[in-house]
Amino acid sequence: MLQTIRILTVDDSASMRALLRHALADPGFDVVQAEDGVAALEWLAGNEVDVVITDINMPRLDGFGLIERLRGGSRHRDRPILVLTTESSDEKKARARAAGATGWIVKPFDPEKLIAAVRRVAH
Amino acid sequence: MLTSHLSPETGMQRITVLQGQAHVSGAAGDELTTILGSCVASCLFDPAAKVGGMNHFLLPEPPHSHDPAEVDVHYGVYLMEILINDMLRRGARKAQLRAHLYGGANLHVGMPPIGSANAAFAKSFLERERIPLLREDLGGAHARRIEFRPATGQVRCRAVENRLAQEAPPAPRPAHGGGDVELF
Repeated sequence: MLQTIRILTVDDSASMRALLRHALADPGFDVVQAEDGVAALEWLAGNEVDVVITDINMPRLDGFGLIERLRGGSRHRDRPILVLTTESSDEKKARARAAGATGWIVKPFDPEKLIAAVRRVAH
Repeated sequence: MLTSHLSPETGMQRITVLQGQAHVSGAAGDELTTILGSCVASCLFDPAAKVGGMNHFLLPEPPHSHDPAEVDVHYGVYLMEILINDMLRRGARKAQLRAHLYGGANLHVGMPPIGSANAAFAKSFLERERIPLLREDLGGAHARRIEFRPATGQVRCRAVENRLAQEAPPAPRPAHGGGDVELF
């Protein structure tokens, strides 16, 4: 039996979290949600995850900071991290890539494309 | 592209926000204005940071929907996030945001109530994001003119003749970029 893929979504918008939960839980993923980078790190300190999907613009700790912290640690340094953002600038995309992001997805997201991306990076 | 002109009556710089646009300002001399039929305008402001912004939208039906009274919530959340992120970049804080909502009329009898669906989306978004809605003037069958001073949050909403509201079809989602996945 295949193990369920566990996804952590990180976004400060409750509306976006609801859309993500709906899109990812329905096809059978195990979805955990955090409202910013700090909450994500707190949860990741005691839990395992297969894929992280994070927004960029968030209070307390933004998506860039979250990626840098995960890549700089030991426990989750190899986890796939997909950025899901309204940002479209090449400069920010390059910054996310340099920080260690696995992929870049522009909102509004297409559920089918998002699911395909998750399955591809989760291995 | 936004259009603006200096009002000789008030001395304010009047900036017109058309359907599909959003504008954010903290300038005390700016006034954002628009005319709404079935479209909805969200006027958000942070009274502490003295920054405000307005968007003006009419959401299309969601992809694969057969119900003409449904709206594309994915696209709506995206449009609201664009406005909020621009405000945050200019010093606003999400917890301090306050909102007014206007528009969402159903101008034509017998047509799908697309104005009501857009208004319902905007209200549910604010409720979910816990952004207090201080004032609303939504629904009905008449067009409205909105004048919003973003630095103070002051709004004037007046009924105007329906012929002044130029009803354009809902703007589609961006043709390129939305939802595209790039793996590094």
